Amino acid sequence: MIRFENVNKKYGNSVILDDLNFNIEAGEFVVLIGPSGCGKTTTLKSINRLIKPDQGKIFVNGQEISQVNPVKLRRKIGYVIQQIGLFPNMTIEQNIGVVPKRLKYDKKEIQKITRDLMEMVDMSYEEYAHKYPSELSGGQQQRIGVLRALAASPPIVLMDEPFGALDPMTRATLQKEIANLHKKLKKTIVFVTHDMNEALDLADKIVFMEHGKIVQMATPEEMLANPASPLIRDFMRKSALAADTLNLTAADFLSANVISVQKKKSIRECTDLMARHHIDSLVIKNEDQTYAGVVTIKDIKKHGKSSGVIGEIEPYQNITSDILENAKDSFDKLYSSGDNYVVVLNNDQTIAGIITKTSMATAMADTLWGDMQ
Amino acid sequence: MDASIVLEHLYLVAMTVIFSVIVGLPIGVLAYLKPSVRKIVLWSVELLQTIPALALLGLIIIALGPGKMTVITGLVLYSLLPIVHNTFVGLESVDSGIKEAGKGMGLTQLDRLISVEIPLAFPMIFTGIRIATVTTVGVAVFATSVGGGGLGKVIYQGIRTQNMNLIVSGTVSLMIMAVLFDVLMIWINRRLAKGTRNQAF
Ligand SMILES: Nc1ncnc2c1ncn2[C@@H]1O[C@H](COP(=O)(O)OP(=O)(O)O)[C@@H](O)[C@H]1O
Ligand SMILES: [Mg+2]
Repeated sequence: MIRFENVNKKYGNSVILDDLNFNIEAGEFVVLIGPSGCGKTTTLKSINRLIKPDQGKIFVNGQEISQVNPVKLRRKIGYVIQQIGLFPNMTIEQNIGVVPKRLKYDKKEIQKITRDLMEMVDMSYEEYAHKYPSELSGGQQQRIGVLRALAASPPIVLMDEPFGALDPMTRATLQKEIANLHKKLKKTIVFVTHDMNEALDLADKIVFMEHGKIVQMATPEEMLANPASPLIRDFMRKSALAADTLNLTAADFLSANVISVQKKKSIRECTDLMARHHIDSLVIKNEDQTYAGVVTIKDIKKHGKSSGVIGEIEPYQNITSDILENAKDSFDKLYSSGDNYVVVLNNDQTIAGIITKTSMATAMADTLWGDMQ
Repeated sequence: MDASIVLEHLYLVAMTVIFSVIVGLPIGVLAYLKPSVRKIVLWSVELLQTIPALALLGLIIIALGPGKMTVITGLVLYSLLPIVHNTFVGLESVDSGIKEAGKGMGLTQLDRLISVEIPLAFPMIFTGIRIATVTTVGVAVFATSVGGGGLGKVIYQGIRTQNMNLIVSGTVSLMIMAVLFDVLMIWINRRLAKGTRNQAF
């Protein structure tokens, strides 16, 4: 799909791209990574002719791109940048429709595309399509930035640190979305980052660059197992989740001081307990200490009576996870379920603790601190 | 002093501003697009404005002879600077991410200018037009010395005949005209800026 043959680029005397040779297959999610200034952006911009190499050839879809009209070429390659670059004088729908309009799609079609794309990232067309970019949050703006790049169904999408300016929570959500979009739409994606976690999470293949050269091009697993240079090893170690993630389990992230009660506890005692601990739900245990479910303050209100025991209320079957389960799977559950936490169970179905978004963040910060000293 | 003289003055100002925009906007765009001629273009319009207005009109009389066209040509040259300058600065200061996104998505240079860059730069450009307008109201007084008419005629007549009333009424009319233009155009610009939702302005 994309092939570099002996591509060289210099600015003055400094070599920026040093004889690059690589090949990206159709449908691959390739992440370019490396220290700042190693030539990632230059490589990316060579693909849509925003930068012209001094020597060498780049092929896109079999065609040598210096032979292709740059405007035509770019309309078939989506482009997403860190600064987002939505047009402030256009509505969200007009922004998404920029390329389709130039390719003479009709109005109805553009509207349908906008609607479908927005649906894919859970943004309501009715609510947002006619707003201006400045009315959206940074995360929403970059979602639109990504959709705009996809609007004319280009087979290739280039992304230059698209999530680099977003807060970690938003970044995580958008990473998940882009992974989903890639799965659904089967685009060839070339994605620049300097964040190894992001690379490991998203890439089919990682291209590690240094001083304008490719040091290693490999799958995330290969790169984790056999980093080709000390610098790559260093990048891996610095990334909080990297090497460790694979063996981290739910146990590493749970918060053990969870408030749980037996079914025979009186409702009044339960509400007192909730008030005292400023929580809005309790984990309920059976006689034998095994997990029964979760009762929220809402459930109690609905129940009406404050006499009687908590076991009379049908508990909610909150999402659970096994204590030995891979931490990442537990996070995925937490995010996709919509529940406020994951209840982590021991092998014998007793309650080990819960994973909340906060406990997860704290544990990750610990991992980071541990690494930095 | 009657209304026709005020109208004559307004006519001079209007024609001047229209022609200044027609000439100045493309020059500003040129300075933005072509770094190679940028310096010389910006320097030239600046130089024009350093020539005293009266001297400039005098020079043009020699070329064109006296009359309204002479006046308007002179006034246009004199009011180019704010329009050229603000067009250039307005386009130049559009966020680089916006420009790069436009280019990277496959918009042509002209398309980018028309669909994105000029609309975003417009509040700045319009400010240039406002400055040119208000300045022209005053400078157009010199028109009378080269047969262009307008309120300058009233003031000169007042000076010649030592008629205080004439001088004051001419001057006050000019001041009112300048202030009205200023206020009106500031108001329009606010409306426009709101319309384009450009946070920068
Ligand atoms: N227009 C330019 N003129 C001179 N040097 C440049 C220019 N653009 C980029 N460089 C240099 O090229 C190198 C690679 O830049 P870039 O590809 O943007 O790096 P990365 O994206 O990996 O951080 C850097 O050292 C940068 O300073
Ligand atoms: Mg870069």
